[in-house]
Amino acid sequence: MIKRLGTGLAVLWAAATASYVALLLAPGDTVDILVGDGADTPEIRAGIVAEWGLDRPQIVQYLAYLWRLLHGDLGRSYQQQRGVGEILATQLGPTAQLTLAAAATGVALAGVIAVVTAGRGRWLRGAASAAELVSVSVPPFLIGIVLLSVFSFTLGWFPVSGAQGPQALVLPALALGLPIAGVLGQVLRGGLERALEQPFTVTARARGLTERALVARHALRHALIPVVTLAGWFTGTLLGGAVITEVLFGRPGLGQVALQAVTGRDMPVVMAVVLLSAVVYVTISTLLDLAYRVIDPRIRADR
Amino acid sequence: MKRLTPALLVLTLAACGAPTAQTVQSTSLNWAIETQPITLNPQLWAQNKVRLLVFNQFDALLSKAEDGTFRPWLAKAWQVSDDGLTYTLDLRDDVTFHDGTKFDAAAVKANLDQFLVPGYNPTVAAIQLKAFDKAEVLSPYQLKITLKEPDALFLDFLSSPYAGQVSPKSLKSAKNLKFGGPDLVGTGPFILDRYVQGQEIHYRRNPSYKWPPAAAAHQGPAHLSKITYRFLPEAAVRVGALTSGQVQVIEGVPATEVNLIKKDPNLALQASLNSGTAYSYYFNTSHAPFDDQRVREAFRQAVDVDAVLKSVYQGTATRAWSIVGRRSPFYDATLENTYGGDVAKANALLDEAGWKQRDAEGFRVKDGKRLTVREVASAPFVRDRRDILAQAIQAQVKQSAGIDFQVKIVDQGSAQKALDENEYELFGNSRGDSDVGAALNLILPAKGAINRTRFADPQVDKWLATASATSDQAERKELYAKVQQAAVRETAIVFPLYVPADQIAAHKSVQGLSFDPSSGTPASAYDVRIGT
Repeated sequence: MIKRLGTGLAVLWAAATASYVALLLAPGDTVDILVGDGADTPEIRAGIVAEWGLDRPQIVQYLAYLWRLLHGDLGRSYQQQRGVGEILATQLGPTAQLTLAAAATGVALAGVIAVVTAGRGRWLRGAASAAELVSVSVPPFLIGIVLLSVFSFTLGWFPVSGAQGPQALVLPALALGLPIAGVLGQVLRGGLERALEQPFTVTARARGLTERALVARHALRHALIPVVTLAGWFTGTLLGGAVITEVLFGRPGLGQVALQAVTGRDMPVVMAVVLLSAVVYVTISTLLDLAYRVIDPRIRADR
Repeated sequence: MKRLTPALLVLTLAACGAPTAQTVQSTSLNWAIETQPITLNPQLWAQNKVRLLVFNQFDALLSKAEDGTFRPWLAKAWQVSDDGLTYTLDLRDDVTFHDGTKFDAAAVKANLDQFLVPGYNPTVAAIQLKAFDKAEVLSPYQLKITLKEPDALFLDFLSSPYAGQVSPKSLKSAKNLKFGGPDLVGTGPFILDRYVQGQEIHYRRNPSYKWPPAAAAHQGPAHLSKITYRFLPEAAVRVGALTSGQVQVIEGVPATEVNLIKKDPNLALQASLNSGTAYSYYFNTSHAPFDDQRVREAFRQAVDVDAVLKSVYQGTATRAWSIVGRRSPFYDATLENTYGGDVAKANALLDEAGWKQRDAEGFRVKDGKRLTVREVASAPFVRDRRDILAQAIQAQVKQSAGIDFQVKIVDQGSAQKALDENEYELFGNSRGDSDVGAALNLILPAKGAINRTRFADPQVDKWLATASATSDQAERKELYAKVQQAAVRETAIVFPLYVPADQIAAHKSVQGLSFDPSSGTPASAYDVRIGT
């Protein structure tokens, strides 16, 4: 467990350093960003350089940055002129809500579709496959617009924007969850079908197990392994997709903060978002390792 | 308990009886806006589109009419000394900030002095308040401002969001002064009570408001009791929210949706040209090929601006003929129809300038170099489909004159780098300053802060300086006309394209929507009401 913690910290340090270097190498001058679209004069620039400590050697600025990070100080946003920690704190909740809801939607849809269609007639499989393919290949932006046009603008079932109440969460969670359902559905069905062809199913059937019980109790467990492996990809998709989904639906959250920060080259905010993503990634992969052991007893035995 | 009831009843009745019938109405409005504020502190205001929010919460000292003249607001009268160095303001004595503190001369002085705090707003301190020397309290409601040199734009400053009056108490106590928010309070018709980044901003009516600007349509508190602005950056989503009744007003109506809104009998559309400069291409005159005036003129002749605007904006854009927008009192209309759309002339000019040969792709070549011009634009500032506009112009100049026009849309840092290193030939820009003189002072003088044409003409510098120092509007108009003639006609350093505009679409039941007369952007919600 201590080893894992060490690896996690190393990954975080690498992420912090990589984002620092990447933004350093990006073209343009930080002072220009801080000046904004307004007019600048040498006096204004000098004032900004002094205020933000931009005249210190790069390595000093980097070490100061790491030192502040260690103390939980994420710095101050160039654009919004307030603490990055404060910005993230207010935006974390809505994004967590959205991504969790989207993940749940994706997993639930994939599970239902896979269980219903696995090993069934060609026609049903074909239809499910086609639907999955569409949900994966159509950009989330378009999925979102279509969902809005039908269920919000035309039918009026759900509000377009805001984060008040569970109703406002339905369409964004669907827009973000559908592509995940598409990929997971395919993988899960493939896994189920492979599992159903394994020798143990013959024994199970011989014991008089119904087909439904067989799928639910035995095959599903086998099919879950590749799905869990995919969860890493899945986390990335959710974090990336949140940017588009939040902007489209006018929801608060890290996505729109990240977008504003990247286009405005607001370095402290960009770096904090990168770090946060790394933390989420490290946490998820640790949890996955634990999940493998629960799902597959063979892994437990090995170690 | 029973004995208390009559007393309570009396109190309740008294509370009901005090306000006029108008204010008892409880009405709320949902309005979808495109742009998120970077700050809600009026003195740090930077986005023209956020004026509608700023003036809900804050009042300025003066207001400005469309013709460029100034009217009373929190200052009921003002006097400028003959030498243009002393401004004496007589303030209203009946104004209270939202936190209950009194608005007076000391408050105005505190607001002005705030700009002198190092790092507070260095840009305003260096540009708009360059001439500011000191403010003195003469009596509780009279203030004297002394300038170091005459500045015709000082009254414009007093009518801008920068002069939005903030309670001195909250200037000291606000949790986050730079960002503003509910604890930075003003005297405006609405009180900010909730801001959710990325989602919405919510105001409630200030029940004791009775000091609207001179041009307001009514007196007393605002009609609406609550107003929620929702941030919906996607144009299609804003329009959908409006047509489905989830919001009653939207701003930023894309050209592609204008006809849909016009056809809907329940909706009304209003548009207003912005003040400031027109969206124009500025030619970099410091190196080839635009150091040659013939090439600059050829580029303008090669484009059929009307056709391009029609295809990109579907007939909703207003063509520009000068750097100065049509809405400004200083607009020189004699420039209309003086150039453009003459393909034969464009080709003749380019032949004359030595760009005679053509390469395999049909582009003109001189000394083995292709006639390439690059535009570098910063993505956060690309709006109004200006990327599509550039592509349309690209196709036209290629076809009609063999010019290779390359358009690059990049992040702010890369754009700034290209500008610093002089790696561009063309630069697109518009500015929303309420007095266009402020914009011209930045763009045209040899040492202008955003002089990206690298054009220098001592005569033009002198005209601009003289116009800044005089407050005689007629004289300023004459001087700015000379400046426009020089830049647009005589030297062709600029290619004006269209005058930016703002649009509001709303349900017919919403009345009193209008545009800020000084900027042309949507006005605050003070006069807005629902119903007849």
